[in-house]
Amino acid sequence: MQDKITNEPMLDVYIFETSQLLEQLEQTVLKCEKGTGFAVSDINEIFRIMHTIKGSSAMMMFQNISVLAHTAEDLFYFLREEKPEEVDCSFICDAVFQSIDFIKVELEKIKNGDKADGDSKEIAGSIKNILSELKANCGSVNMPIDEKRREEKPKKYYISQDRVNISQYKYAYKAVIFFEDDCELENIRAFTVIHELSGTAGEICHEPENLEDTSECIEKIQKDGFLIFFQSNESYEQIKELLENTIFLKKLELTNLGEKGHENSKDTVKAAEGISKRINDVPKEGHSSANQGIISVNVSKLDKLMDLVGEMVIAEAMVTQNPDLKGLELGNFHKAARQLKKITDELQDTVMSVRMVPLGPVFLKMQRIVRDMSKQLKKEITLQIIGEDTEVDKNIIEHISDPLMHLVRNAADHGIEPPEERLMQNKDRTGVITLEAKNAGGDVRIIVRDDGKGLKREDILKKAQSLNLLPKNPEEMEDKEVFNLLFLPGFSTKDDVSEYSGRGVGMDVVMQNIRAIGGTVTVDSKPGKGMSTTLSIPLTLAIIDGMNLRVGDSYYTIPMVSIIESLRPRERDIIIDPEGREILMIRGQSYPVLRLHRLYDVKTKITCFTEGIIVVVRQEGKLFCIFADELIGQQQVVVKSLPAYIRKMKQIKGLAGCTLLGDGSISLILDAAGLADC
Amino acid sequence: MKKILIVDDMVFMRLSIKNMLEKEGQFEFYEASNGMEAVQRYKEFKPDLVTMDITMPDMTGIEALKLIIEYDPKAVVMMISAMGQEAMVRESILSGAKTFIIKPFKEEQMLKTVQKLLSI
Repeated sequence: MQDKITNEPMLDVYIFETSQLLEQLEQTVLKCEKGTGFAVSDINEIFRIMHTIKGSSAMMMFQNISVLAHTAEDLFYFLREEKPEEVDCSFICDAVFQSIDFIKVELEKIKNGDKADGDSKEIAGSIKNILSELKANCGSVNMPIDEKRREEKPKKYYISQDRVNISQYKYAYKAVIFFEDDCELENIRAFTVIHELSGTAGEICHEPENLEDTSECIEKIQKDGFLIFFQSNESYEQIKELLENTIFLKKLELTNLGEKGHENSKDTVKAAEGISKRINDVPKEGHSSANQGIISVNVSKLDKLMDLVGEMVIAEAMVTQNPDLKGLELGNFHKAARQLKKITDELQDTVMSVRMVPLGPVFLKMQRIVRDMSKQLKKEITLQIIGEDTEVDKNIIEHISDPLMHLVRNAADHGIEPPEERLMQNKDRTGVITLEAKNAGGDVRIIVRDDGKGLKREDILKKAQSLNLLPKNPEEMEDKEVFNLLFLPGFSTKDDVSEYSGRGVGMDVVMQNIRAIGGTVTVDSKPGKGMSTTLSIPLTLAIIDGMNLRVGDSYYTIPMVSIIESLRPRERDIIIDPEGREILMIRGQSYPVLRLHRLYDVKTKITCFTEGIIVVVRQEGKLFCIFADELIGQQQVVVKSLPAYIRKMKQIKGLAGCTLLGDGSISLILDAAGLADC
Repeated sequence: MKKILIVDDMVFMRLSIKNMLEKEGQFEFYEASNGMEAVQRYKEFKPDLVTMDITMPDMTGIEALKLIIEYDPKAVVMMISAMGQEAMVRESILSGAKTFIIKPFKEEQMLKTVQKLLSI
């Protein structure tokens, strides 16, 4: 998707800012819907966002978006000005959501280089209907408010009201001004001229007399020009210069009517303007979208930076651990090398921290999903969000958004019961789905929890049996193992397919997506109490702390987070079970052993456990041993994915990627989750 | 070189205006993303011209305009508005804005207006 974005920077900025505004808008409307309706500050904000979207979309010639935003803006303008009492909040929210969705779709089209050809007429029509309905209601019911407004309105501004003394001026003039055809709002342009003149002239009289915002007034100025009579002490040339400075001036006809006392200026002029002071009372709280000191950077640049820093970490290791240096006495070199290492480490940390973004926005997106679903399914659900400040790498955010959506949908669709059913079970009417994020060591845990009906062990087993997915005797299986069956491809306990959580492809997709970024998924549930799904996700994908091993001539790296200990066993600790599998006893516990040289078919002289090294690895609470020739050492490595041609040829089990070691040789990164299945 | 301060909360609009004016190549640009910043920047750089968006969060363009005019009555401020803001446009004219331009505006409109305001 990234590379499809057009290169035109204006368009990029437009898309980026408009999507941000839409997200902000969505949150505001959700808040309104949940609360008791539209607060003044909310209306102002929605109005402002719609107004801004209208403006920028019109600049980019996306008429359909602009027109829709304009319609919505009108609606909220009405809400702001008239403050009607009976407003169907959810109705309006629906319309705004529809608009948001429409604009989002159009933006997506624009992003992909397609024509934004959606038809917004229908949504715009429904918004217009709401508005005219409101207007009708307001006219009949809220008369008092209307009258009050009318009283407030005539706050007229009398131009040059301080110049009462008529005889003060020497000359009288007549001017006819034509504005350029596309200048718009001619009446206010005219108003501007009068305002300018009022500094040097008095007794101003003009035609049309009333510069109200009506199309008649504007048309008249367009057709006949703006006619002004006034008196002034300034000379013809000075007046001419002043008026010629009028912006958007097309033609000026200025005539000197001679010395003062002309009939036309007899009346005391009250160039009255009905200006109701509508100062936009801005919400004091709320988001200040543009904070100085923060810039937005294209992610591809960050990726590049990360790559470069990764290369530099490797290059640094290649220099400082260069085999040519072996055995040399290089005191100063090592001092300098340590300094270099310190700086590269710091650089690496800084770049990493730049890439970290809070999970908040992803979580907030779920609110909309829960809202839509609870409406559709007629359930009452609230979404609780905990720890949205927790930060993860930008790349990871992209990978967990879909799985999270699946889980939330599952929880709302299959987990939470309808209100009546909940009441019968002595539960609160409203179901709660909790999204929680927290740091746990090198991982981030994201937990999706619901207080719905939970998983039934028997149902899952029955279903698994019918699908022939049972790996072993059901009675031997622990609850956790039973729940893990859910992640098998094609498994779904719900028979009918619903619009939201689909055909049971959900859970195994979740598993795949999370595994792809080196994370794990666990499910826990109590019947009747609800279910919780925990995603454990590494903080970053790019750099890991690894332990390097050697097997024959090949090198392997195991992520430090999954290593428990390393040891060289004694002969008597090794047992062979009746099925021929090798088991290692450590402090009275038995662990299965995986021989790397056998798994990957590597030639090595060390095949006896007592000559090599055993690394104990943990994967989701399951411990097992990996057997290698020797440990080389611990090192931070930059994860590179396996080249595409290798991945295409063969799916190799247990490999998460590869990396370069200090001496330039390639090491394969082992994936504990994959190895556990081997 | 004339100095222009562009005030708008949207990067997009600031960029649009800048792109339009840049083709003339004789301006030095400053930007502000909200009213408060606009006033600060004005005091700091004394621009020859300010383009001021009306609708911005926290502090509207009109409030910023008033503060700028209060600080420098000779300030040349041009409001950027859209249809539907007639009342606010009037208020800004009364508060000292030299003129206004309506979104969506064309490049030549923008250029002509700016040139006239700066008398070049």
